[in-house]
Amino acid sequence: MKKLSAVLAVVGALGLSTQALAVDEPENVIKYRQAVMKAIGGHMASIAGVVKGEVSYTDHVAIHANGINALSKAVTAVFPEGTDNGSHKTAALPKIWEDWAGFEKAAQALDTASANLASVAASGDKQKIAAAFGDVGKACGGCHKPYRVKK
Amino acid sequence: MRYPRKGKGRGLRRVRSNLARVAALSVIGLVVLARSAAAQGDATKGEYLFRAAGCYACHTRPVSGARPLAGGRAFETPFGTFYSPNITPDPDHGIGRWGLADFARALRLGEAPDGSHYFPAFPFTSYSGMRDRDLADLWAYLKGVDPFPEPNREHELNFPFGFRFLAGLWKWLFFEPGSFEPDPARDVLWNRGAYLTRHLSHCGECHTPRNLLGALQDDRYLAGTLKGPDGKKVPNITPHSGDGIGDWSESDITFFLQLGVLPDGDVAGGAMEDVIREGTGHLTDQDRKAIAVYLKSLPEHPGP
Repeated sequence: MKKLSAVLAVVGALGLSTQALAVDEPENVIKYRQAVMKAIGGHMASIAGVVKGEVSYTDHVAIHANGINALSKAVTAVFPEGTDNGSHKTAALPKIWEDWAGFEKAAQALDTASANLASVAASGDKQKIAAAFGDVGKACGGCHKPYRVKK
Repeated sequence: MRYPRKGKGRGLRRVRSNLARVAALSVIGLVVLARSAAAQGDATKGEYLFRAAGCYACHTRPVSGARPLAGGRAFETPFGTFYSPNITPDPDHGIGRWGLADFARALRLGEAPDGSHYFPAFPFTSYSGMRDRDLADLWAYLKGVDPFPEPNREHELNFPFGFRFLAGLWKWLFFEPGSFEPDPARDVLWNRGAYLTRHLSHCGECHTPRNLLGALQDDRYLAGTLKGPDGKKVPNITPHSGDGIGDWSESDITFFLQLGVLPDGDVAGGAMEDVIREGTGHLTDQDRKAIAVYLKSLPEHPGP
């Protein structure tokens, strides 16, 4: 078993290092990134339907919040250097890489806010869910405002 | 050419009679307002109006740690860059020496206490229709906020727009001080929405395109513009399906004004984020609904 773990660890490390070398075409990374963002947006729009009271899937809020939380951990990885709007068709501003620490912090805020929403969702309290959802929205804006071209 | 505000052409005679009304308003109206019972404004109600009127977003720099209401936010326009002034009660750099009459004159007529004209980057064209009571309450709140001695930054305008007298000429051409007249054919909610949208919350100042001289094109009310106050696109919010928000439900609008989340799950950006966070997010559900009802009732326009 120990040997298996070691093999897995080595394979994992190799996998990570391959990822770090980032041989993917910038256009494809951008396309993938936009799909990730749309996925987060899809969860947001789904929760919005519940918070607005249009649908009664209150028990789904945690599912979506966990979905956002999982994706929030992928955010920084989908912004490799060389995928800014200088030479590519993307809304990602070069400021992301000029202020990488700030960008990481902003991405971390989405992790925190979505985790909070997931735990608040369990209470079923509509008011608390709406407030926690608002905080997730602010976390989205916390990245979009400084680091994205205004739509 | 269509003139803005009332959406109908006006002859020189009418403009002159308006000018007489302006003079009459400035001399009599403001004195009466200042001396009336309305002079004792209610600061609590004023704080709510302050949210609805969106004072914060324009009069505060959009950076973390900026002093609220100390001004300095830049507005890049085709005429040059305007910087919002300090509206804290600091006596030297803010409006600490103002009285209600000065405040009313600024919002109703677009005139500084020394009689000089404000440029229409300041939305007096919308605020002009504000109720006396609301003006007094708003003033009661504003004069009580923390003063901050931030000096005002001069506008950086392209020749020849820097001449203040031109702002006077502009007003002569395009501005008609007015009051909000409810439409008796519509219900209370719609009329509240109209008052908020057109006057207090002045949505058209950013969302309506302007003509070559910077006057709002009333025949394209809220149809959006490619050159907004940040030099960027401002969306069409008429009920046009596709270009506007025709596909938004009433609750999509109220929800957006509350939390800034768009129907597709994205969030508001640019100045609108500040407007929601500091303004519409604090309004009552009823007022947000009033705005939604009013917006849904407007003529649809394509574009921008």
